[in-house]
Order: sequence, then structure tokens, then C-alpha cells
Amino acid sequence: MTKNLNTIGKSEKRVDAKDKVMGKALYPGDIYMDNMVYGYTVRSTIPCGEIRVDKSQAQKHPGVLYIFTADDIIGNNHHGVIIKDQEVFCKKKVRRIGEPIAFVVARSYEAAKEAAKMISIEFKEFTGVFDPREAMKDDASKVHKGKDNLIFHYKLRDGNIEEGFMNSDIIVENNYETSMVEHSFLQPEAGVAYVDEKGSVNLIVATQYPHYDREEIAQALNLPQESIRIITSAVGGAFGGREDITLQIHLALASYKLKRPVKTIYSREESFIAHSKRHPFYMHYKTGAKKDGTLMAMEAEIIGDAGAHASWAINILRKAGVHATGPYLIPNVKVDCYAVYTNNPYTGAMRGFGAAQVPMAYEQQIDEIANRLNINPIDFRLKNCFRIGSKTATGQIIEGSIPLGKLIKIAAEKIGYNISTGVSI
Amino acid sequence: MKKRGKGIGATFYGTGYGNGFPDVSNCEVELNCQGKIVVYTGATEVGQGAKTVLSQIAAEVMGVDLDSIVLVCEDTCCTPDAGTAAASRQTYNTGNGVRLACIKLKEMIKKVEENHKRVKGLPDEILTMKEIYEASRAQAIILKARDSFTACTSTMDEENGQGSPYWPYTFSCYAVEVEVDTETGRIEVLNAYCAQDVGKAINPVLIEGQIEGGFAMGMSWTLYEDLNLNQGIIKNNNFSKYIIPTSMDMPDICSIIVEDEESTGPYGAKGIGEPVMLAAMPAILNAIHDAVGIRVTKLPASPDYIVKKIQELDKSNLIERK
Repeated sequence: MTKNLNTIGKSEKRVDAKDKVMGKALYPGDIYMDNMVYGYTVRSTIPCGEIRVDKSQAQKHPGVLYIFTADDIIGNNHHGVIIKDQEVFCKKKVRRIGEPIAFVVARSYEAAKEAAKMISIEFKEFTGVFDPREAMKDDASKVHKGKDNLIFHYKLRDGNIEEGFMNSDIIVENNYETSMVEHSFLQPEAGVAYVDEKGSVNLIVATQYPHYDREEIAQALNLPQESIRIITSAVGGAFGGREDITLQIHLALASYKLKRPVKTIYSREESFIAHSKRHPFYMHYKTGAKKDGTLMAMEAEIIGDAGAHASWAINILRKAGVHATGPYLIPNVKVDCYAVYTNNPYTGAMRGFGAAQVPMAYEQQIDEIANRLNINPIDFRLKNCFRIGSKTATGQIIEGSIPLGKLIKIAAEKIGYNISTGVSI
Repeated sequence: MKKRGKGIGATFYGTGYGNGFPDVSNCEVELNCQGKIVVYTGATEVGQGAKTVLSQIAAEVMGVDLDSIVLVCEDTCCTPDAGTAAASRQTYNTGNGVRLACIKLKEMIKKVEENHKRVKGLPDEILTMKEIYEASRAQAIILKARDSFTACTSTMDEENGQGSPYWPYTFSCYAVEVEVDTETGRIEVLNAYCAQDVGKAINPVLIEGQIEGGFAMGMSWTLYEDLNLNQGIIKNNNFSKYIIPTSMDMPDICSIIVEDEESTGPYGAKGIGEPVMLAAMPAILNAIHDAVGIRVTKLPASPDYIVKKIQELDKSNLIERK
């Protein structure tokens, strides 16, 4: 299949390299249009509470064109990749720090920022919940009114877990916690929206999924999707942090109403609170093996902090569950994954998507068992790892390209581990 | 005292949306008047190299130089939906979409060419792409093809989680050597060997870039990054307080690209965007254990944390000896 290839397999220069190196690539922050005005987002400064917004004084600022709030949404004030639990502008309740409340559009960015300070927001603060293990309890305060804090529970059952542990010679049990982290992409969010001669709303934005942005804007503006055009600019890194909506609807709405190009650029500090983060996981792992190094059983409970919005939490905790065993054959498996709302910053997609957190647990468990059984960790892995025809804990038979054994041998050899036994792969 | 240790991390990653979610990439491809192949697909270039890789796939199928491919992916007005630039799915999924659409176009081109030769009575004539375009005009045929690729995924059982949620799986095994300063708790990663399954490397240098970036991201998460989150407030909200590595913190990374073609992938390729960041963290944590005997059970493995853990271990060893 791969014989006589012309370009596949060659390290061709990136087609976008020259523009990026020469500074010609157009990022949304670089764009300037005639008659352009600037937007600034007013956000919640408390993690949980109610708000009352009075924009009348700020509206009188000489530089201000208009201040958008929840009252100005023509269509749906809610968006979200799976569950529509994010408000374009908070109407009454705020659930996290950084939730958008208003979008001030003025003749200059400075004027917009200045007027933003003149908006009177009365915050009535409630006690929030910040630990998902607490938030799961029945008596915990609810992040979303009338909704359980438990968003999702993934259950994985394979074999017989009790028997598996009973037949194990050694059991290793431990708790692991991963941290909430930031995508740290280079280019903070920015965008420019304008209305063209046909009346369509155009948005130039650095996004991961233009067709999704178009759908959400259409619903918020109550316009057909054909009237919305997303132009993807150069994107300065994403890593999952540009999957949820941040400024897209605000800009589209403002340009549609004002019939002028509207631009906004987030500062680094604003970017930190505007987009999602990586789910912190609280993991309890119990792994059992026989003296000869055969893995017998694994039980895991994984609690993921979704923060104030579900975003991809369901898919991420599901993915965590599917990958909880690591790439190893374990005949008896029990996994429970929970996605839970809290009043923390919301978490969402980030490179690795739930499968990134679980290796902290499964790979240290594997190492610990090898240590205690006094087996070389490489041999232990080679003995138990997936190979062609293996059955995963979800019952999937994996055929085709499964070169894991080879990878383990290569990495071990390079770092200078001895592989003592001749385990065939 | 400075102590060294070695560690290894092996991981797997199911690429694509998964769990039966329709994972579709659409692509349109046409021959334009300049004889260039224009590929339309909504796959965003986020820095991962989608534009280059998809162009290479199109060039390979069409049998033309990379310069003859114009890839348009930036505008919802003219690009069909190719899903999100996520789930390590663009090379595999959209790559397949591009490949299938190009195969169709190639068939159409062949017919136009044959027709042209027959009519002209010149069976041995070799036509340029520009001449083929002109011939298609004369034959009133529009050389534009469309196709799509849908990844193989099924919904898992709600009660027991059984099913085949993802395909394909990408594997990694990274090995590192670290040096732990037992006084300060500072950890330095000295060497990293990253053995990465790729299916087939469409563009090896781009993969090396991904491995290095992925390793940096995984190492940064393991050792440095801390939002200082308290009561819903992010205290470390810029890069003077939120620490990520500089090039000075990075070890030499030895990338080992392992090819083992995936029959369902375009030219055998699999997605690697996410897999490349998974194995760094467990490899580093296992190396820390090898060096000083502590298990990191909470991230980040900051100097404070490491010192505290070493002190706890010393104390318990002392009690044991007594």
C-alpha cells in the first residue's frame, strides 16, 4: 500500500509555515476595519449568587454605542456543546467567576472598559460548592436551579470483581488527584464581526469548530444558519480550549444590532477565566495481581469536577472510564466515573480528554505492583499489555495496528532497562 | 542530595468522538482553471499541521506536486463540515474524507482524459491538469467530487459500559530519567525517549514537533502548573504566576516514530495529537519513585510537595527502624 509514495512519509514544509514565520498570518487581533467599534465583556466576580444589573449610567458614557445584556438576546440565551447550560449573558443567577453578564460596545476599547466600571451590578452572594465529592451529596447546594449536581455516571463492569480480588496474591490501593490546568495557548481569544452587503453576519475568529460556532450563533440570534458565516483566522493554539463558545455570540449579536464591525481581544487574565480548564480527577484505585505477575482485578472510582457548566464532561468522564485500566488485560473490572457540577471555573475539552488523567493512577499502580512483587516493571508490562486480538474491559476485540509491546521494548532499551525474560509479543 | 531515577509510562488512546456519536468528515475537491486541485473541507488548522497533512494526502492520491494543491478550510460559506479539530481525528477522519473525494475526482478526470484522447485520436498524448480542465469544459463536465468518511464507533451499554466506543487506538510508551534534589524538592527531567505509535507517518517532522510539544505539556502539568484555585477563584491567572516550562527546562527529547499501518487509516495513519501528551506524566512520576521512593498522589509534583513527601518517608522509615 505504501510503496512508491511521492509525498506521504516526507517531511514536507508546513504549508502555513512561511506566513507564520514572516508575521503575515492573520490572527483576529490583527484585523482592522473601517468604522470598527470595540467590545468589552463584564463578568461575574463571585462564584455563586444572584445579580441585578443597572446599565443606565454606563449607557450615558459618551463613547458607548450600546450595552448588551440578557434582555437583548433575540433567540436562545443558552448554549453548550452537549447540555445548553451556559448563558450568553447571565440573567439572574451566576454560577462561577467569569460568567458573562454584559458586553459593552464603545468607540474605543478604553471607553468600553471605562463604561464597564459604571455598570451597577448588585451581587447577592450565596455559599457555593467547590469540591465535587461534597457536591455529589444530597444536601449540597445546587449549582443549577432544580438540577442535580451529578451530571453523569459511567458504569463499566467486566468479569467478577470480588472473585478477581479473592484470587489475587497482592492488592495495591491508593488515591490520586490530578489538578485543574489551563490550555496555555499563545493567542488569547479575539474576533471581529461585521454585517456584509447581503445582511449576513460574518465572524472572523480563531476557533476549533467553525460549523458549531455558526449553529450556536444562529440560535442565539434567531437567524438561519445561511445568514451566518464563520471565517477561521490563523489560530494560535487551541488544545481543546477553543471548543466552547466564548466571544462568538457577543460579537455576532453586537455587529448584527449595530450594523458596524465589532472587535474584541481578551487580555491574558480574561482568557484564563473565559474558557474551560482541564477536569481535576479524584481517583480511588484498587488493583490486584497474582504472584507470577498476572493482573487479576481492578476497581476504580473517578470523580471529575465539571465546574459550573457541563461542556464535554459526559464524554470526558466516559472516556476516562474506557481508558481506566490502561492498555492492559485485566479480566475483572469495575469502574464508576462521575461528572459533577461545582461553582469552580468550568472544565471542558483539553488534549487527552479524560484519558490524560487516568494514567497517573493506572501506571503508578502497575509500577507499585511490579515493585512489591519484585518483578521488572518492563516485564510486568509486557506480560499484561494489549496485543493483537486482545479484549479491552469494554469487550472490544482490538485487531489491526497494536504495536504496544514493541513500543515498551524500544523505550525500555533506550533508557537502559534490562528486559530479563523473553516474553514474546 | 541529588538522586536519579528512571521511569516508564505506557498509555493508549481511542481516537475520534466515540460512543456512537456520528463522527463525519466531508470533503469537496475540484480541478480549477489553473490546473490546481482545490480541496474544500472545514478542518481547522490549530497548529497541529492539518493543512499540510491533508494537502499531502490529496497530492498523493491525485499524483500531483504538493504545490498543485490548494486547501481551503477557513470559511463556512464554502467548506463542508469536517467536524471539530479535536479528538485527534483530523488526520485520520478528514484525511480519509479527502482521500475518498480525491479518488472520485481522479476517476472523473480519467474519463475526461480518455474521452478527449478518443475524440482527438491521440491515444498517447499526455495532458496537463490545465489541459484536462479545458477538455472538461469542452465536454461540459464539471470536475468536482464530494465524499465523506464516518469513523467506526458504537454506543456502549448503559448498565455495564460494554461496547466498542473508539477506533482506532493509538499507543505510546515514554521513558524518562529524572534528577530529584532531596533538599529543595526540585525535579529535573534529564532525558526522554518517546516511542510513539503513529500508524503511518504522513509527515515525520510534524510528528516530532507534536511529540516534543506533547511531552512539554505533560511535563508542565506534572511538575509546574498551578492555578492556585481557591473557592472558585483562580489566583495564578497569567504567565508570571502560572508557570509553564521554557526551553531551558526541557530535556533532550528523543522521538522514536514507530510505524505499524492501520488498515482503515489514510495510507495507514492514525491520530497522534493527544496521544503524544499522555505518557510523559506517568513516566516522570514513576521515575520520581525510582529516585527517592515516594509516590506522587497529587499534582503538581511541586518542590514543596516533594520535600514534604520525602520528609514523611524519612519519618516512617525511622519509626520502622526503631
